Amino acid sequence: MTAVVLAAAVGALFALGTFLLLRRDLVRVVWGLAIISQAANVYLLAMGGIAPATADSVPVLAGHGDHVPTTADPLVQALVLTAIVIGFGMTAFALVLSYRVYEEHGTLDVSELGDRER
Amino acid sequence: MSPDLAIVVAAVALPFIAAALTPLFFRVLGEGTGFAGSLVALSSFGLLASQYGDEGTVALEWIPSLDIALRFHVDGWALLFALLACGIGTLIFTYSPAYMHGESGLVRFYAALLAFMGSIVGVALAADLIAIFLFWELTSLCSFVLIGHYTADDSSQYAARMAMLITVGGGLFLLVGLLLLSIVAGDVVGPASAFDLAAMLEQPDAMAAALRDRGLFLPVLGLLAIGAGTKSAQVPLHFWLPNAMAAPTPVSAFLHSATMVKVGVYFIGRVRPMLVGPEWLFLFATLGLTTMTVCAIMAVAATDIKELLAYSTASHLGLMVAGFGFTSVYGAETGVFHLLNHALFKAALFLVAGIVAHEAGTREIDELGGLRHDLPVTAAITAVVALSMAGIPPFNGFYSKELLFEAAVEASHHHDIGLLGWLYPAVAVFGSIFTVLYSLKFLSLFFGERPADLGHVHRPPVTLLIPPAVLALLAAVVSVDPELAVEVIVQSGLEATAVDPHEMHVGIPTSFSPAVGMSAVTIGVGLLAFPAYGRLHDGIRAIPRTVPPIGANWWYDTIVDGLSDEGREFAEYVHNGLLRTYATWTLAATCTLALTGFVAAGAIAPTEFGLEVTLAIGLVLLVAVIGGLAVVTSDSHIAGVLTLSILGFMVAIFYILASAPDLALTQLVVETLVLVIFLLVIEEIPESDEIEVGRSVRDAVLSVGVGATAFVTVLVTTSARPDGPTDIARYYAEQAVPEGGGTNIVNVTLVDFRGFDTLGELAVVALASISILTLIVMRGRGDDGYPAARGNDGSPGEEPPTDDSRSDEPTDTQRDSQAAGGEDE
Repeated sequence: MTAVVLAAAVGALFALGTFLLLRRDLVRVVWGLAIISQAANVYLLAMGGIAPATADSVPVLAGHGDHVPTTADPLVQALVLTAIVIGFGMTAFALVLSYRVYEEHGTLDVSELGDRER
Repeated sequence: MSPDLAIVVAAVALPFIAAALTPLFFRVLGEGTGFAGSLVALSSFGLLASQYGDEGTVALEWIPSLDIALRFHVDGWALLFALLACGIGTLIFTYSPAYMHGESGLVRFYAALLAFMGSIVGVALAADLIAIFLFWELTSLCSFVLIGHYTADDSSQYAARMAMLITVGGGLFLLVGLLLLSIVAGDVVGPASAFDLAAMLEQPDAMAAALRDRGLFLPVLGLLAIGAGTKSAQVPLHFWLPNAMAAPTPVSAFLHSATMVKVGVYFIGRVRPMLVGPEWLFLFATLGLTTMTVCAIMAVAATDIKELLAYSTASHLGLMVAGFGFTSVYGAETGVFHLLNHALFKAALFLVAGIVAHEAGTREIDELGGLRHDLPVTAAITAVVALSMAGIPPFNGFYSKELLFEAAVEASHHHDIGLLGWLYPAVAVFGSIFTVLYSLKFLSLFFGERPADLGHVHRPPVTLLIPPAVLALLAAVVSVDPELAVEVIVQSGLEATAVDPHEMHVGIPTSFSPAVGMSAVTIGVGLLAFPAYGRLHDGIRAIPRTVPPIGANWWYDTIVDGLSDEGREFAEYVHNGLLRTYATWTLAATCTLALTGFVAAGAIAPTEFGLEVTLAIGLVLLVAVIGGLAVVTSDSHIAGVLTLSILGFMVAIFYILASAPDLALTQLVVETLVLVIFLLVIEEIPESDEIEVGRSVRDAVLSVGVGATAFVTVLVTTSARPDGPTDIARYYAEQAVPEGGGTNIVNVTLVDFRGFDTLGELAVVALASISILTLIVMRGRGDDGYPAARGNDGSPGEEPPTDDSRSDEPTDTQRDSQAAGGEDE
């Protein structure tokens, strides 16, 4: 079954992130990256299926018994968890890199920086 | 008797091992490394000779999961080629030390030569399609290194690049052909031996029928022909071979006449039983005879002795291809026998050309003549091999040329080819006349008048003379007793390449036949026309001067120069140093490819649309998107950071609603941290306002495109999801307690089932934090000489070296803010 609402949300976030990615202000570019990685995480989770939240659907078992209820897909959750942490590392690094760029060049305008490279 | 795996592998591996050890040899032996190479070549020759008479396939497991093995097939044809390579290799290595005396780059030269010999033996023996391709391309790579031996010489580099482009490019066509072949072979000989050429050749008729059924016969034939044609310098891709003469002469003799260029011919002979048919005849007989004639004419136009021999080599390769092209048994006899004969006489001729160039100091035909007084032994050698090249009886070249004439005449008996039945013999004779002409011209360098301005010609050292003498001697033996050569090796080579092999006989004809008549015409006209050689030479040379597009070189230069100019312009356009340009091209290309892929695969189809989410999730996502919109429209950094946080926290709530508490926890921690870091950094950075309407519109269009692609992707992929939990998800859920000992499935997955992934993740975070630390702290450490930075460090006494490359230093106010920033962080 297709997930129209999720698709719309992911699409909208991708569009907004892309728009920011194309700005001249490096800080806004970093924001764009952050938004796109959030959207990718939502997409990844949606691939496992979004079950209505119940006590059973949380992928934490009640005890060490034999009964294993059908839960939300634990694999995508593990993947997204990894992705969130890596996204954090990337955002922090990109931000500090922009800060350093500003220290070195006195500007965060990527067009000016690009012209300077040439 | 089946061959011995260890011996076969040793014969292939030995040259490669020696290549790796060349620097060591060179340190001990110096310029005598060549003799060590001879020893290696001789050992490989001995190992292979011990397998003489054996036939069969041996395999060394390589990639068992894909059924790819290092299979070697030993039969007469493989042994003929491999022994030729090792035998001539031995002579070349003996010849090289004297010829390359005093040159630099000898380690590279010998290493490449040894590696090349290993590859050529590999290509001869390999029975696995992948191994064939790898060895095939290895020979091209070694040839590239050897042609470009004189690294400071532009023409040598140009020639090396050209040879590389043509032969490696052709190799890629071959690869596609081989893969198509393996697809069909999987059905015929079983998936386990889908890459096993030896298994395919055991049932050639079934393979041919299956190829025709699948409609792949012509594509496979064409692709293999392009691969073989580029390697064996067939018209119109022959032009790299004359240029490859920029290589040192031993290389020309070894690679570009005796072995590497014959790989294509060898492979044509190898697959001949499987693909032979009317199409085969039409393709290869036409290709071969065209090459033979065109290149023989070009050889007459040559002004340089190596150029003459190069065109002659291409012409003789054409003869072999044409031979194999004719479907009768005479065709196979031509191909196999001429491969041997040509290797003997042409390698010797190149070595002679090397002696002439080395001792007389010039390679210009016009400046040479009457060399028999100075080089009597060389003249005797040349007489044997040049007359053999001309195809004059009773020299060995005559026998294989006679077989070609017979095959050409026979062609119309086997197939209904109409006019071509007359054309093939006529063209064969026409091309052969030029062969006689240039062979006599080469021989005439040693006779006639000695030009007055030809300086003193030295006597060549004995190591330069022995290799061509050995080859000439062998050619003489084959000339005197061709039946001996047939018995020793040619017959067994014939059995692997002919469809209906029978006992082969060659000798001086005793009664008249059409082929004898054709030989008589060829030699007669050649001898009569020889006095007019100068006029012919000038006439042919005038053609490309008046009509440049007739030369293949012209096409190559035009295309390659055009492509590199276009490439440079295109690079300036897409690679202009501006981040937004890169992002635009990358994103637009990705979207185009993804959407085109969906459309091409028919993935976009109307299916049932479901909401799949509760109202709560919908609302949360809506707020998240509104947050994102607020980030885009924010006019200050602070507002942007805060609204970005709204988005992040909404995503955390989404995780809670989607039954993912672990994600929500992580997201909350991360969002908080990101917010704090953003606020810390942004304080140090001034606002920059930019409003450019034109750009914004363009960016908005691209953004909408990217968003639409993401939208469609999510729709397409979510509709293709399997119903219910996947096997792997169920596995993790069921095994979490028994195997991981934990009830939180996600946690168990992360730290237990997929612990290495988590380790990788930790490595990323650790790297990011080290980089951040470096970016912030290293500046303060004072490797740049800022007073404020040094003050932080508390080491004002040390004067750090000033970095002169920094031309754009920030202003004073910026320095102050940086210092403050350093303290804050």
